[in-house]
Amino acid sequence: MERFADEALVLSTVDYGEADRLVTLLTREHGKLTAFAAGARKSKRRFAGALEPYMRLRVQLVETRGSTVRLDSADIVAGYYTARAELSLIARALYAVELCRELTREHEPHPELFALLEDYLRRLDAKEAGPTSLLAFELAALAHAGLMPRFDACALCGGPPGERPRFDQSHGGAVCEACSGRAREAVVVPTELLSGLRALQEGVRQPLSPELRARARGVLNVFISHHLGRRLKSVDFMAQVGLD
Amino acid sequence: MTPDPLNRLVAQLAKLPGIGEKTAQRLAFHILRAPGEYAAELSQAIREVKEKVHLCTRCFSLTDTELCGFCRDSKRDERTLCVVETFADLMALERTREFKGRYHVLHGVLSPLDGVGPEQLRIKELLERLGDGRVEELILATNPDVEGEATALYLTRLLKPMGLRVSRIAQGLPMGGDLEYADQATLAKALSARREL
Ligand SMILES: [Zn+2]
Ligand SMILES: [Zn+2]
Repeated sequence: MERFADEALVLSTVDYGEADRLVTLLTREHGKLTAFAAGARKSKRRFAGALEPYMRLRVQLVETRGSTVRLDSADIVAGYYTARAELSLIARALYAVELCRELTREHEPHPELFALLEDYLRRLDAKEAGPTSLLAFELAALAHAGLMPRFDACALCGGPPGERPRFDQSHGGAVCEACSGRAREAVVVPTELLSGLRALQEGVRQPLSPELRARARGVLNVFISHHLGRRLKSVDFMAQVGLD
Repeated sequence: MTPDPLNRLVAQLAKLPGIGEKTAQRLAFHILRAPGEYAAELSQAIREVKEKVHLCTRCFSLTDTELCGFCRDSKRDERTLCVVETFADLMALERTREFKGRYHVLHGVLSPLDGVGPEQLRIKELLERLGDGRVEELILATNPDVEGEATALYLTRLLKPMGLRVSRIAQGLPMGGDLEYADQATLAKALSARREL
């Protein structure tokens, strides 16, 4: 059984039996892995505090016969403790890790996604990432997963989205008024929403107004749940506690 | 061939947490060999725990009366309320013999990744019981993990505007511990939560 070291961000954890824990990690070189942490619940000393969502770790892993790996040791590289002391920051960080977990498959390396999530968490912890940054992070994470909603042209005819554009998740983006008859699920969206999201995709860091953010959240929610086949759970949490 | 009643008992015992097939067998044989009253008392105790124990209508801890012993005890300070995740946490705090106030059991924590929101916890009931104005201070004793922290922060946001004193139990090093052997997260927390002398 081969032993290897990697950097990892904890995406989620689930208790396993009485004493153990299964930890979903996004590693820099080996992609998403499910690691078996023996004794993680019983022995407070071995992994104490390290196996929490969005901890950045240096891990020692051992291959096993199945698809799961065994976690031998975990050293905290960054705890992002500031991002654990405010409800809005916790909500955004958890949403970011849940999105990364759902967008990836195990054992497929995603070094860019790792770097993206790491950078986002670092900025969140430095209080440099507001609600618009989360939208920008989502769009970038979606692009890494090969899911890039189009906001600059009609997804059906390729022409400009026009004055009364729609957004249609099943066609993957904006739809012009003339094509809207062929996009039955399409909803009318403001032109500023499309230009705002387009700017975020291009890396422009321009905060969106609260109204546009709320519309963007709605559009991304339907887009993501359409492509993943389910709604992300932490998005409901953000709505329940009145945050974005 | 083991008799069916014995097999059934082993199967039921094996469903208990931490009990494997072997242990379940040993326990079943023990019950079989023990005097008749033991089996009768055991089965009655099991039946009664399901029939008689329920949640206290005020603090949601466990009780076999309408209000639990903590809520009925007039010597306890009703101005201080300690909010915990589970009844087991309440019992742990009781063992300290330090806390003389009352409790409120949430029955869980906010868990964004599992879809557990405020409605699934006894938060509405907490706010309702604060309505009589008797409580002055709340101690948030949820676990020091991301979910416990999220729950404490969420409660703080609700409680502070009501003019209540809200405090969070401290986090840090274990008593009699050794810095050299402390884990990174605990030590980092202990450093940031240092106090002036
Ligand atoms: Zn078109
Ligand atoms: Zn009670």
